[in-house]
Amino acid sequence: MKIKLTVFTLSALMLAMPLTTHAAQDGGVEQGKYLAKLGDCTACHTIDVGQANGGGLPFSTPFGIVYSTNISSDEEFGIGHYSLEDFTEAMRGGVAPKGNLYPAMPYTSYHLLTDQDIEALYRYFMSTKPVKQQNRDNDLMFPANIRLGLKAWNLVNHDPKVFEADADKSEKWNRGSYIVNGLGHCGECHTPRDVMFAMDQSRHFEGELIGGAEASDITPKELNRQGWTKQDLDDVLRKGYSRKGTVFAGMYPVVFHSFSHLTKDDMSAVTSYLLDNDAEVAAKSDIFNGHDKTDPGYGLYTGYCAGCHGVDGEGKPNVSPALIANATIDKAVPINTLSVMLNGVEEQRYSHTHGFYAMPSFRDTLNVKQLTDLTNYIRKVWTKQSSDLTESQVQEWVDKIEDSIADAAH
Amino acid sequence: MSTIALSINNKAIGPIETSDDIMMIEFLHEYLNMTGTKFGCGVGVCHACTVIVDNQDGTSESVRTCINGVSRFNGKKIRTIEGHAKENEFGEIIKLSPVQQTFIENFSFQCGWCTSGFVNETTVLVERLKLMPIHVSEVETVIDKALGDHVCRCTGYVKYYQAVKELILSTAGLTRP
Repeated sequence: MKIKLTVFTLSALMLAMPLTTHAAQDGGVEQGKYLAKLGDCTACHTIDVGQANGGGLPFSTPFGIVYSTNISSDEEFGIGHYSLEDFTEAMRGGVAPKGNLYPAMPYTSYHLLTDQDIEALYRYFMSTKPVKQQNRDNDLMFPANIRLGLKAWNLVNHDPKVFEADADKSEKWNRGSYIVNGLGHCGECHTPRDVMFAMDQSRHFEGELIGGAEASDITPKELNRQGWTKQDLDDVLRKGYSRKGTVFAGMYPVVFHSFSHLTKDDMSAVTSYLLDNDAEVAAKSDIFNGHDKTDPGYGLYTGYCAGCHGVDGEGKPNVSPALIANATIDKAVPINTLSVMLNGVEEQRYSHTHGFYAMPSFRDTLNVKQLTDLTNYIRKVWTKQSSDLTESQVQEWVDKIEDSIADAAH
Repeated sequence: MSTIALSINNKAIGPIETSDDIMMIEFLHEYLNMTGTKFGCGVGVCHACTVIVDNQDGTSESVRTCINGVSRFNGKKIRTIEGHAKENEFGEIIKLSPVQQTFIENFSFQCGWCTSGFVNETTVLVERLKLMPIHVSEVETVIDKALGDHVCRCTGYVKYYQAVKELILSTAGLTRP
């Protein structure tokens, strides 16, 4: 596909300017290394037992399994033979020299990158250690296994234009938008998909069930309603935990490999964009409505949850997060409350001194009646959400969680 | 305050008035003076505090008492380390359970802090295998899956592992060729 390069706006150039500091000295390698972390490239292009960027990580999709490819500098197995133009075409148009890429590779977001940033990434990847690891063949059903079909998909669903700044917003906000929507590729999980499995931009960042948990609604409206401050977002994206709760499921590796490496200025830009506010936002008072010992959920909470989350939901430092002010339980639809009850949460270490222990799965322990009573109780005590969910509603959400694809690709 | 009544080692306990916010291990220790169940990490990691809950459908499950409140056990039938060996009318132990015996014979544990959790978890495993025997080739994997989360800091896991393997392979009906 012929890529249409849009003319840079002045703002886009300004966004890229601070990034060129290193470029003059090392051809952009250092900057590219930083950008590759923002893009979280290595996380998807590396397997547990493999060398960095060697590819081979499987992604289950409704159409079969797609394996990430070797993006090391190896000329035979990796992308060492790519020209800058090849690399740009892959990043923006989703077309590699061998043919169309599956949109599990988020070129549907990366197309927003400036030429300078794409070149810095290219210089970095050309400097990485070559990995002699052959790519695996995808295991896709017909007709998804025909790459030619992706050309048609791109024609309908992909507009590979470079980021254009919003003149009505601040430079900081635009920088945040550039990071979040471009390399951060947050929308790939947080934006619902349409019937063509493309991001439905009319519902940008409104949340999507993926891999057994919901990539939350991260619209400014929802984040501000839940009472996130810029510092809370900085904490949760940089450290993985915050006053508003912790990251879990697919977001934990994103923090670990990617967002924890953001510079202070870039993080400030990201939080300004997400809250749609350059200034710090005042924290809302924490909600604790008090216990109701006559509620059937009270005994369930004290019996199953209070040991770790605290009788009054205060949590335990480095053991389990507090329920007070926790954004995960403060949602109209309690998909993630149910998801963590059903699936548990794996142990998460954020540093040598900080982390949380595993939360057990209660899939075989709590029935739907108990899940309903407990969810209603948690909402009643620690949120302003309704606490009259019915068993049939909960069963429907449980079914959705169980049916959602494990380890889905973006 | 809550009122708790349950069966522990086939003896009816309660009704007893307890504070709402106590964990089961506190109930065992402070209300019943049953101190065989040990408090280890206190956060559900080491599994030393594991007891057995017998479900109405005939199955059993292991449950950690340091992170589960006493209300979870209200009305339930549970077994603790004090209930495994056979006693005479004077309360003296006259025969250990097969699980206890195999751990003794293999000198599986040293300080003993984790032992009650291991005995309870292994007992649940053996009883499950009686209902659903496994192929001989699966024994090691099944032991690892059942006991892998239990922490022991004295004997290095090798001896308890050997003990459980011996017990499973030498007890009729737990495995099939």
